[in-house]
Amino acid sequence: MTEVTTGSGAAIQVEGLRYSYGDLEAVKGIDFEVQPGQILGFLGPNGAGKSTTIKMLTGQLTPKAGVARVLGIDVATDNPELQARIGVCFEEKNLYINMSARENLEFFASLYGIKDADAEGVLRRVGLADRAKDRVKTFSKGMRQRMMISRAFINKPDVLFLDEPTDGLDPVTSAAIRRTIREEAERGAAVLLTTHDMFEADELSDRVAFINEGEIVALDSAENLKLKYGTRSVKVRLRDGDGVREEILPLDGDGSSSRLAELAASPDLMTIHTEEATLEQIFIQLTGRGLEG
Amino acid sequence: MSLSRIWKVLRKDLALGPRSPIFLWAIVLPVALTVILQVAFGSLFDPEPRLGIVDEGDSAITAGVEDMEGIELTMLDDEAELKRQVEANDLDAGLILPEGFDEAVKGGEKPVLQFFIGGESYASNRIILTVTTLDLVRELEGSEAPVMVDIVDFGEAGLPISIRLIPVIVFYALVIAGLFVPGSNIVEEKEQGTLTAILVTPVKSAEVLAAKWLFGVILASVMGVASLAMNGAMGSNWAEVVLVVVIAAMLSAMLGVVVGVFAKDSAMMFGIVKGAGIFLFAPAVFYIFPDWPQWIAKLFPLYWIIEPIWQVSVMGESVTTVWSELAVALGITAALGVLAWWLAKRMQAQMAGQ
Ligand SMILES: Nc1ncnc2c1ncn2[C@@H]1O[C@H](COP(=O)(O)OP(=O)(O)O)[C@@H](O)[C@H]1O
Ligand SMILES: [Mg+2]
Repeated sequence: MTEVTTGSGAAIQVEGLRYSYGDLEAVKGIDFEVQPGQILGFLGPNGAGKSTTIKMLTGQLTPKAGVARVLGIDVATDNPELQARIGVCFEEKNLYINMSARENLEFFASLYGIKDADAEGVLRRVGLADRAKDRVKTFSKGMRQRMMISRAFINKPDVLFLDEPTDGLDPVTSAAIRRTIREEAERGAAVLLTTHDMFEADELSDRVAFINEGEIVALDSAENLKLKYGTRSVKVRLRDGDGVREEILPLDGDGSSSRLAELAASPDLMTIHTEEATLEQIFIQLTGRGLEG
Repeated sequence: MSLSRIWKVLRKDLALGPRSPIFLWAIVLPVALTVILQVAFGSLFDPEPRLGIVDEGDSAITAGVEDMEGIELTMLDDEAELKRQVEANDLDAGLILPEGFDEAVKGGEKPVLQFFIGGESYASNRIILTVTTLDLVRELEGSEAPVMVDIVDFGEAGLPISIRLIPVIVFYALVIAGLFVPGSNIVEEKEQGTLTAILVTPVKSAEVLAAKWLFGVILASVMGVASLAMNGAMGSNWAEVVLVVVIAAMLSAMLGVVVGVFAKDSAMMFGIVKGAGIFLFAPAVFYIFPDWPQWIAKLFPLYWIIEPIWQVSVMGESVTTVWSELAVALGITAALGVLAWWLAKRMQAQMAGQ
């Protein structure tokens, strides 16, 4: 029996997946699953192996070892039935810049055999309806990125692969894109999203995989990761002459509570905040390196 | 292979074509070449020789010129006006036929014939008009020619250069439309990453290449036929001409697909075409220089498509006379098709690795 029975009908199932570019091992045997309607965030710095993983899962690269099944179909087989049911947002923007937004979407829809594609509706979702007739050439970076996302949605895919969908975008555009990604998951799509932005991973993902140097070092919900690895703390701000003084007390540390009681009684007390560990702090704790660079 | 997916990619390329400079170049170049070569060597834009006559009697020479095709005749009333028009190059030459000229010739009086020639007229037109006039005068005379005109052809025997340049024009039409357009189209889709986007959909790389090939075949066929038509070389068996042009377009477009799949980027693509340029162009040169040993032309792949076009369109031969050349052309096309398919397999990994 080679069939992996998870009993859960995972949309993406990955076991021992490996890839190397010549001597460089980019992905060193990773395992994970994504259920329908779930968002898995791949969080890791540049060069961690995120894009290589997506390229294997979308049939652009053939895995050197391991198995990956998407919708139950081995990704190593070139299968148009599988390709019809996935949506991909690439790290590099690859639109037809000499075609209009609408022509781009209608062309790709036609490749999926969709006759009456709702290009207009998809563009409305990403706020580009009024630019439907304009050539992509005339679009700003953010608009092109929204086009990339809308193209990934055009075939109402069951599985979405989104490689850094908000990289380098302004906060407003990023928020708009995140909203549409959440909508897709609510519709039932399984989403694999890569990012090196801890806030995005935290906000969007049902579960987060920390990936570093081709290996998944932790995989759980953001909350569980924080509970498991993060140290919670309390930040107390006190008046100090003309200035302000801060004191950070680990919540789980010895003696914190008595010191906290002491400060709380102080007449100089301004504010008390509980502080959660960020995903990046946990990432650093687990890998010894940060997410940038 | 899904014909419907091939058609969707092809339809996109046809619609997008006019937005691409190389596509436009493929259309404009054969037209421009035709115009340039015809102006330099050809007859297309040569004005007919223009002769003015002041006929004071009712000369048979005037009637003779009127009957003649290819000479633009203007009848004038007085000598001064004739001279003025010749001088202004409104006429290439002017002739004054005094009253009783015919009779004088017939009577053996050897009358003076005034013949004005414009300084700016083409030499070829002067010769035509002079010889024609003298011929007509001789006819008047009957058996006894007052002058003997012996026309000696200088220059190479055989076909005029304007005809021998047709393979050059057809070559450009086929190579730019058939090779360059699909080749650079494939490379551009690689560079822009759009090919990667297409290949994660149900479309297979063989389907994309089939669409690009058909794109080249259609464009090269249209441009090949158009450039033959512009040069008046469609002949009477146009269906056979179209057939040989389409087979030529098939080979040329397959070459374009191979180059496009092989080249990583446009710099490499242009490099390959530049490097292979002479190799491709060589067979066309052999039609310009018929003295060269013609068997050498057969060593070059495009000979096998240019020769059938030459025979069937320019020489008006039947397609059956070139079936062996056509078979070789189809064989080369099939071999290139296998090569393209083989190269396509490594293309996808090459792109993902970029
Ligand atoms: N085409 C390639 N050729 C060689 N090495 C590559 C290639 N693409 C990526 N790599 C290397 O593989 C590793 C993983 O890259 P990638 O999957 O792109 O990481 P990420 O998407 O997480 O930034 C990096 O060390 C990167 O330099
Ligand atoms: Mg990446």
